[in-house]
Amino acid sequence: MIHLSGSSRSEAGSVGRVLWSRFIWRHWCREPAMTAMLVGILALGVAVFLAVRLANKAAVSGFGLFTESVSGESDFLLRPRAGYLEEGLLRELRALTGATPVGFFPVLETSGALAGNPEGSLLRFVGTDLVALQNAANGTGSEGAEKGNGGSIFARRDGDLSPIGKTKSIFAGKAFAVRQGLKEGSSVALLVNDRIVELTLTGILPEDPNRAAVPDNLILMDLPGLQALAGHAGKLSRIEIRFPGGAGRDRLLAEVAGHLRKFAGERDLILESPEDRKSSVTQMSAAFRLNLTILSGLALLVGIYLIMQAMEAAVVKRRAEIAVLRSLGVTPVQIRKAWFIEGLILGLIGSLAGVLLGRLLAVGLVGAISMTVNTIYYETTSSAVTLHWGEAVFSLLFGVVASIVAGFIPAREAAMTPPAQAMRQGTQGGGLHLLRRWPLGLGFLIIAGILALLPPVGLPGGTVVPLGGYLAAIALVLSASILIGLLFRPVARLLGFGTSNPMRRYAGSQLRRPEGRHRLTAAGLSVAIGMSAAMAILVASFETTLTLWIQQLLKADLYVAAAGSNSVSNGNSISAENWKRIALMPGVAGADKLQRYTINLEGKDVFLGGAEYNNDAKRFLQLIWVVPPTQTGPDALAVSENGETPAWVSESFARRFKVSSDDKLELPTPVGKKSVRVSGVYAEYGNETGTILVGREQTSRWFTDESLSNMAIYAEEGADVERLLESIRAEFPGLVARTNERLRSESIRIFHQTFAVTYALEAIAVIIAVTGLGLALAGLLLERRQELATLRSLGATRGAIAAASLWEGLGLALVGLAGGFVLSLLLGWILIHVINPQSFGWTLQYRVPWVSFGALAAVTLSTAGLVSWWVGYRNATLRSDREE
Amino acid sequence: MKALQVSRVIKKYDSDPVLRGVSLSLNPGERAALMGPSGSGKSTLLNCIGGIDRPDEGVIEIGGQSLAGLDEDALCRLRRETVSTVFQFFHLLPTLTVSENIEFPMQLNGVGPRERAERVYDLIQEVGLSHRSGALPHELSGGEMQRVAIARALANRPRLILADEPTGNLDSATGEAILDLLEAVSEKNGVAMLVVTHSPQVTRICRRTLEMKDGRILGQTDSE
Repeated sequence: MIHLSGSSRSEAGSVGRVLWSRFIWRHWCREPAMTAMLVGILALGVAVFLAVRLANKAAVSGFGLFTESVSGESDFLLRPRAGYLEEGLLRELRALTGATPVGFFPVLETSGALAGNPEGSLLRFVGTDLVALQNAANGTGSEGAEKGNGGSIFARRDGDLSPIGKTKSIFAGKAFAVRQGLKEGSSVALLVNDRIVELTLTGILPEDPNRAAVPDNLILMDLPGLQALAGHAGKLSRIEIRFPGGAGRDRLLAEVAGHLRKFAGERDLILESPEDRKSSVTQMSAAFRLNLTILSGLALLVGIYLIMQAMEAAVVKRRAEIAVLRSLGVTPVQIRKAWFIEGLILGLIGSLAGVLLGRLLAVGLVGAISMTVNTIYYETTSSAVTLHWGEAVFSLLFGVVASIVAGFIPAREAAMTPPAQAMRQGTQGGGLHLLRRWPLGLGFLIIAGILALLPPVGLPGGTVVPLGGYLAAIALVLSASILIGLLFRPVARLLGFGTSNPMRRYAGSQLRRPEGRHRLTAAGLSVAIGMSAAMAILVASFETTLTLWIQQLLKADLYVAAAGSNSVSNGNSISAENWKRIALMPGVAGADKLQRYTINLEGKDVFLGGAEYNNDAKRFLQLIWVVPPTQTGPDALAVSENGETPAWVSESFARRFKVSSDDKLELPTPVGKKSVRVSGVYAEYGNETGTILVGREQTSRWFTDESLSNMAIYAEEGADVERLLESIRAEFPGLVARTNERLRSESIRIFHQTFAVTYALEAIAVIIAVTGLGLALAGLLLERRQELATLRSLGATRGAIAAASLWEGLGLALVGLAGGFVLSLLLGWILIHVINPQSFGWTLQYRVPWVSFGALAAVTLSTAGLVSWWVGYRNATLRSDREE
Repeated sequence: MKALQVSRVIKKYDSDPVLRGVSLSLNPGERAALMGPSGSGKSTLLNCIGGIDRPDEGVIEIGGQSLAGLDEDALCRLRRETVSTVFQFFHLLPTLTVSENIEFPMQLNGVGPRERAERVYDLIQEVGLSHRSGALPHELSGGEMQRVAIARALANRPRLILADEPTGNLDSATGEAILDLLEAVSEKNGVAMLVVTHSPQVTRICRRTLEMKDGRILGQTDSE
């Protein structure tokens, strides 16, 4: 190894400075548009990546516990595995902790909606002991408590504390009050379950910069008030436990926590920290968010191809210059260093711009992501997007590393080429040799096949990650990037086939011996097209499966639900009195009835449904079976003669808990553990939490609850369904009633909304790729300026040269499209048969959306044609270096 | 009618005169060498005659047609049909084979496929490259590349060939062979030829040698 002496080191440093100031910097100044475009592409890639991550974070952080925003975070939560806690438990807890200064906050939480908009977003009603909460808030020295409200967060401005204890007083955040145009003392009509109630906004909850923001859908009430409103007298959803701060807190925590754990264990209750609770809830959407993050990486990945392409172009263009530098004694290492610095600086500038742009984009994305999380996973609100420094630095590093890697490979090749050879080559030939090695592409293809067969990897917290699937997708992308080179010859032949148009044949000849730039452009385009089309396959497969599911499922004439039924965490119910009245309305022949509860099975929250099907062998809800039970029909869920309770489980549940037909489950219920036997597995695409269905007769006994989440009504033959709908709406304004057609269209609308982010990300990737195509052609023409001069000397007009560029661009786009579509078929297969079942537990039917493919091809080809013609026309008059 | 008539042509770049009233003429089938030191304006004159550049003053007529009033499309037609150029660095289209390079100007000119094929065959024979018709430019030697360039220049049967240092990038033996070829094709096809050169060798195939310096024709020497 050669060690540099002090003077050698300073020489190396000065060479580096010269390379930077005389070459890199001057090249940037000579081509400011190209440099700006490069920085712009990188910025867009980083921006999309960061925006999705920030929006994901904001959407998830919307799930919180109310006390965080009102009086800070609790230390523990105590909650039941099913149903509610009895209020009497508080006394037992106080007896347990004795004189120790531990605070207990009883909480009842339920959902509601605005009376005028039952189909709108959910409101979270939280009832607690406001006096205890007030004391806790004072204890923490809340700014709001001390300054804004005369020492009380629940007092009116005039200092009147009387609202505490009033049953119809509510407190809400400022955002809610402003949106609804409410002031303190205003009345507001809200829906709780299926009842409309007039409540008074007694106070606006103060914001405290030291605490979580007050969610804009939070309605806070005194506990007895909400218990009365929701019909849950003496019931609690959970008890929040807080230890005082200051010295002795740790000792107290250690001492009491053990007692609390024993207490919870003896009663089969769950004792957890708020952080555990949050992470166990947000874990549910981890796979969805991971998928989105990976998809957002698509734009960056395509960006990497473009940067690599631009860097490769710059290397090719400067090849003679590099050769001269080498002949003057600059070492390959110094040249590589110069490129490293160029990649680093470009990466830094582009990524910094991307971080700023990403922050803005995130604001637009957060609403869409929150909506999906609400629909499929759990209730959350769109929190304000904040720029997390960790995320910003991560994205910045990602962008910089991408830029350096993109520049390194072509620079390495240039530095290694002997100077004489590089001088001889000029701007012809060369390029990334890696992309010419088709056996390597074949190798990646085989590796992808093997990786796709691997089982998923389980993460702490229960999330399952289809790591093999993701790695297989990456291997496929790499394989396609290399193997796509094999498509150039057929496409070149196609361009020249049956034509004597010289410019078309000339364009074909360019593709017959593709340069590194051609290969990189086509690879970038094929990755963008491939991943976008694969997502289109996923969406089409999902839509086909969902449509079939909906067609099978929705056979009743009318559907009635309590407010907020679009959200998976809706807790509103139709009271027994109301659904019985509906069942007796003239024109109603029968109904399927469902009530849904959340229970905690083996430490994971799942849904337990009580189903009662219409007593008509021809008209009742029929599921799509993954593993069909021996008996279906209205009575199939009735307790069998041997006393066994049959249960059907959803596919997600079966995968999550690894159960199958005939397995036994011990379900926690308010009346103790109940044993059920799985007799069938059905497909369900409404949530990925998983559902267990048993007869409603059982759940109403176990939960002492006759209410329903929703009911599907079958009208009598010849009855006027529209009239029946109007009657239900008129008589029950607190319920949401829809016709079959409306519910179907609503389901499909929600489905498309869920994929809105996906569509946007796909569009961005394709835009970046087509921009790259234009950039590549512009670069190629710049390199071929001598050739252009020759063409002109042979009599080719500007239009003819533009036509040649158009044909070449179309040829490139065709190679990218063909490769992209083949890639998409394989990626689609991995998404549907590997990643989707492993992440979500959903079996989908593989569907290729040929019409969407056609549209994508038409848009890509026409845009590519337009861009290529324009680039050709603009560059047709480039003067050759040798023209005087 | 003269194959080429150049009268008092002036060309300036940034008010710096490169051509200072150049006049010359060529009869059909005549070959003339244009010699002079670097920077004397030879290539600029060639560019103006080839219609790649426009003179600021003066008249250039090819086959009796003045270039002055021609628009860009008409100049393109002129380059396709009437004037061809042979370059020092050959400038073959690197992605086209030998026969495709020769065929290309005919395709631009709308010559039918059958006629094209016959002429490509004849031209390849004429320049002695029938064994290399499918080769790509990078697979050829310098001499072979220049032969292809000459065949390409002849493709549309021009009246005038402008040759810019046609042997400048070749060894002397190959250069001699190329000069023989240029002479032969000029004789056979009756094409006038203006050859820009530094090499006194070239003058052996030319009837006249024009001396150029500082943008002016200083004089001429007849070889005969």
